Amino acid sequence: MNIPDSFLPPRIDRWPARLDLLQSASGLILGLFMWLHMLFVSSILLGNHAMWTVARFFEGYFFFGYPLPWLVSAFVALIFALFATHAWLALRKFPTHWRQHMAYMRHMRAMRHEDTFLWFVQVLTGFAMFFLAPVHLYLMMAHPELIGPYESADRVWSGRMWPLYLVLLFLVELHGGVGLYRLAVKWGDFKDAIAARRKLKRLKWGLTVFFLVLGLATLAAYVKIGMEHAPHVGERYQPAAFLLPSSKDFSDAGSGGGGLNPPQPPFDKGGSRRVEGMS
Amino acid sequence: MTASRTLTFHVFRHNPRDSGGEPGVREYQVEETPGMTLFIALTRIREEHDPGLSFDFVCRAGVCGSCAMLINGRPGLACRTLTSELPGTISLFPLPGFELIADLSVNTGKWMRAMSERLQAWVHLGSEVNPNQIEAAMDPDLAEAVYELDRCIECGCCVAACGTALMRPDFVGAVGMNKLARFRLDPRDDRSDAEYYQLIGDDSGIFGCMSLLGCQDVCPKELSLQTQIAFMRRAMARQGL
Amino acid sequence: MKIIHSDVLVIGGGLAGQRVALAAKRRGLEPSILSLVPAKRSHSVAAQGGMQASLANCFKGEGDNEDVHFEDTVRGSDWGCDQRVARMFAHVAPKAIRELAAWGVAWNRVRAGEHEAVINGQRVTLTEREDAHGLITARDFGGTRKWRTCYTSDGTGHAMLYTVSDRVIAEAIPVHERQEALALIHDGHRCHGAVVRDLITGELSAHLARATVIATGGYGRIWGISTNALINEGMGAALALETGVARLGNMEAVQFHPTAILPTGILVTEGCRGDGGVLRDVDGHRFMPDYEPEKKDLASRDVVSRRMAEHMRAGKGVKSPYGEHLWLDITQLGAAHIDRNLREVKDICRYFLGIDPAKDFIPVRPTQHYSMGGVRTDYRGESQWLSGLFSCGEAACWDMHGFNRLGGNSVAETVVAGMLVGEYVADFCQSRHGDQEISTALAREFVQREQRGLEKIIANPGHENAVDLRRRMEQIMTDKVGLFRNGPDLESAVAELAELLARSGEVGVNGGLDANPELVLAYRLPRMLKVALTVAMGALNRTESRGAHFREDYPARNDRDWLNRTLACWREGDALPRLDYEELDVLRMELPPGFRGYGAKNIIDHPDTAPRQAEVDEMRAAKLDRYAVQSYLMSFKHLLPLKYRGRNERLDEPLP
Repeated sequence: MNIPDSFLPPRIDRWPARLDLLQSASGLILGLFMWLHMLFVSSILLGNHAMWTVARFFEGYFFFGYPLPWLVSAFVALIFALFATHAWLALRKFPTHWRQHMAYMRHMRAMRHEDTFLWFVQVLTGFAMFFLAPVHLYLMMAHPELIGPYESADRVWSGRMWPLYLVLLFLVELHGGVGLYRLAVKWGDFKDAIAARRKLKRLKWGLTVFFLVLGLATLAAYVKIGMEHAPHVGERYQPAAFLLPSSKDFSDAGSGGGGLNPPQPPFDKGGSRRVEGMS
Repeated sequence: MTASRTLTFHVFRHNPRDSGGEPGVREYQVEETPGMTLFIALTRIREEHDPGLSFDFVCRAGVCGSCAMLINGRPGLACRTLTSELPGTISLFPLPGFELIADLSVNTGKWMRAMSERLQAWVHLGSEVNPNQIEAAMDPDLAEAVYELDRCIECGCCVAACGTALMRPDFVGAVGMNKLARFRLDPRDDRSDAEYYQLIGDDSGIFGCMSLLGCQDVCPKELSLQTQIAFMRRAMARQGL
Repeated sequence: MKIIHSDVLVIGGGLAGQRVALAAKRRGLEPSILSLVPAKRSHSVAAQGGMQASLANCFKGEGDNEDVHFEDTVRGSDWGCDQRVARMFAHVAPKAIRELAAWGVAWNRVRAGEHEAVINGQRVTLTEREDAHGLITARDFGGTRKWRTCYTSDGTGHAMLYTVSDRVIAEAIPVHERQEALALIHDGHRCHGAVVRDLITGELSAHLARATVIATGGYGRIWGISTNALINEGMGAALALETGVARLGNMEAVQFHPTAILPTGILVTEGCRGDGGVLRDVDGHRFMPDYEPEKKDLASRDVVSRRMAEHMRAGKGVKSPYGEHLWLDITQLGAAHIDRNLREVKDICRYFLGIDPAKDFIPVRPTQHYSMGGVRTDYRGESQWLSGLFSCGEAACWDMHGFNRLGGNSVAETVVAGMLVGEYVADFCQSRHGDQEISTALAREFVQREQRGLEKIIANPGHENAVDLRRRMEQIMTDKVGLFRNGPDLESAVAELAELLARSGEVGVNGGLDANPELVLAYRLPRMLKVALTVAMGALNRTESRGAHFREDYPARNDRDWLNRTLACWREGDALPRLDYEELDVLRMELPPGFRGYGAKNIIDHPDTAPRQAEVDEMRAAKLDRYAVQSYLMSFKHLLPLKYRGRNERLDEPLP
């Protein structure tokens, strides 16, 4: 009855599978990265020095003995690329016509179904991040060396970035949390899928709440430091125990800030560095 | 039984072939009786208030899949929904995602046949058997596992509960993916994964699914749709590597 | 006027109809199927417990074969069946089930080794043989001597219907869904097709075919409470009846199933009792062994239903707002067994009763379930009075069930009859009898007649209410043409139904000619009443008790006067059907009439019974090979299509 069209093995277009895998993989990496990122950033809660240590760590300071901020730039560029890929792939799933949008809205209102609602949350947060995230990403790529307790706090407060970060915090945590949960149910092989999903859902909300609280506390800490540090805006943090070698890259980049940087007073090498211990 | 309620029904009324008619909602009042199902209530509405009201019931026992509709916004089988589990005001709408025949009646049969033809949703036999001979043995657990997936009644609830299907009419829905998972599990079907990939290896198939899981949450037969879709997605994704 | 041509027009998209269409397609013909609903929603889907076929794979089925299945079927029918047809059926059932197994039905399989079962209220351990591991297993059912009912959990009909429907799709057979046949197009001798109404648009068309097959299921919905789907309104029987030439057989033979739930009449499978469940009364007492010491809860359905009614009449019923009932107790089977093998039952209990059958008793009472009667056909499935008109499945009186059908024999009949009648239909189409000679004028005449009829209904001022008339008909059938019948009640039933039929012509309808449920009821009602009248008249005339037909005023099975088949025909213009009778020939029976082994033993013998029994005994005493004995007593293989004549292989009966 069922005669194959030919005796050759069927020819298949592998790209839909690859794109789907790529969408999931990029989402997975970005989601996990954002959780780690939050943990690193929140090191400020442990004190300025802890944050400083984390920041320098990623510049390879503890490997090479001097910071290589371009390492951070390169990493941010990679994340940027992943972000763009993920956005491009995810955009395929967005409602593109008004009719589709209305169909989804009607359906969502009628169904009152959490996962259906959460997808819409992802669409909204994803769409918003599409515009907001590149601002931060570009800053980090352009000025990797300006990651530090005062530098970041100045950016948050004196640089008036805190509203952006406040919004991004919610966008990222909602989008990432839902996304990671969805990846688990999308691909996962569970013995009892219903129980697993219930647990995953609880875990997801738990983590989201945890990271939001952590994020808000962290942002508050930067705001506080930024407010206190406002009179000295632009002044960089230098831990007491470490005297940075006057690496050319490091100081040049600091003084030659681009338009996006907070206003910087002339950078006085050496003497006027405020030295603080660990708080 | 508690004191009987008077139920208020808001029922969608529209005959798309009636050129002058506009879609609307009609209200009916029905005295609730013990053990009343939506089948009983709708039959009473038709007999006592509105003999022209269209709806589809066949088995009225939850096995044929004819009477799926939106019950207070959610897809479900009307015949086995007890009014006692619903609030005093009940809205009934036809299942979205399917062609409207009239009022609560939609053409799920046409959709399902098209889906079956598109997905070649039947066992692809290697060769005909000689029915005089003892049947081929099959592992008892495997037979039960195949039946487990075979229990789909094509009611359309999973399609109506799927945001993806409602946005993209060419999406095969959980019903289609579950069917292919069933045939893939069945040793009598001799298709390879590459052949299944040809049927659902794109965005109108398995990769279009966004894991909203409305299907899993409304399936009247409680099929393991989440598991089956994930299973097919993994199998089909391997084809992309 | 739209005319659609095909070779075979199948009216009805259930198991029987679709299997006929497949047979015709595989013979190179172009069939098309009409179905009131999407084909997979047909009532076949509701068959839960299983399909009988003598595979003899499981331990309790060992030693089973066609002979045992045949004899069980004949006893079940109370000797009312056509024994040659029962033979053909028992012979082909194993082939049917094996074909379905190859097509994809996930039959439950034998698991080698020990397993627990509940038999007669006791937990016992059964040991399945190694070489049967993975073969199709079976469960116990009423009125059978072996465990012969093959199953897929308790969704057997669903699994079968989906598999057969999928094959219909695979083989590109068109199914015209939501289409209803209103009348057969015929010239008094030859059937040419049907006038068909599109239930969505209301459009009428003529479907012309070499052969027309009625496979529309039963007529249970003329009763108020029935286990049947709502579409089983007897329209297939009415189609044949309204030709004025084709006849209906044994319309009074109507089965009541012992275990349908209250109040809606939804069935819970006989598999409940087959797997070890028992019936209990108001005191929790298991009463069936008191009446039926031999088969207990697993006597045939007609007997169990009557015993239940008897017990309730004795004051042992449980009172409820919906009337009296008894209890079905499957608690001892355990939650694990119920979850695995009786899951539909569990769902029904949960959704419609709000109970858990692993813990609570299920309220049940006998409820109309199956129509043994239907369009009378010969063994080939063709009407003897209207050439080119075939019928099979529950719609037909092919006559393998006689006056009572065994559980598990209905879905079995649908596919077996589908296979066989499909071949005969193909033979017919490919012979000169199948040549199509019809003028479109005749088709137009029939279509116009139906069109006028519908327009007349719409134009009717309407002083009668269709719903009221229908309810009254259902009440009459339930009260007076039910499980227990008697002369005075049946007489008043006939008179009242005839009056309702006259009034049904005065029903008025609002709305138009398209998708209009009010119109549908209006044109179906007189047809249903005609079918109801053939049932009531048949029951009134048959002054004996046989199988499911029980007359309180004539409790004996009267083989002397009533070993025959009722035939009903309705000439145009008549107020009532005409009945005549077709004798069953005892001298040609393989199994001469006797005691069934269950039920009351109250028989008036036929004069030929004793001599025939002597002949049969002598033949059996000769100790010949069973096939030889069978062939001598009642040869039937020559009646089968060549492809289905081969012997059935079993573990202990290898093919020669």
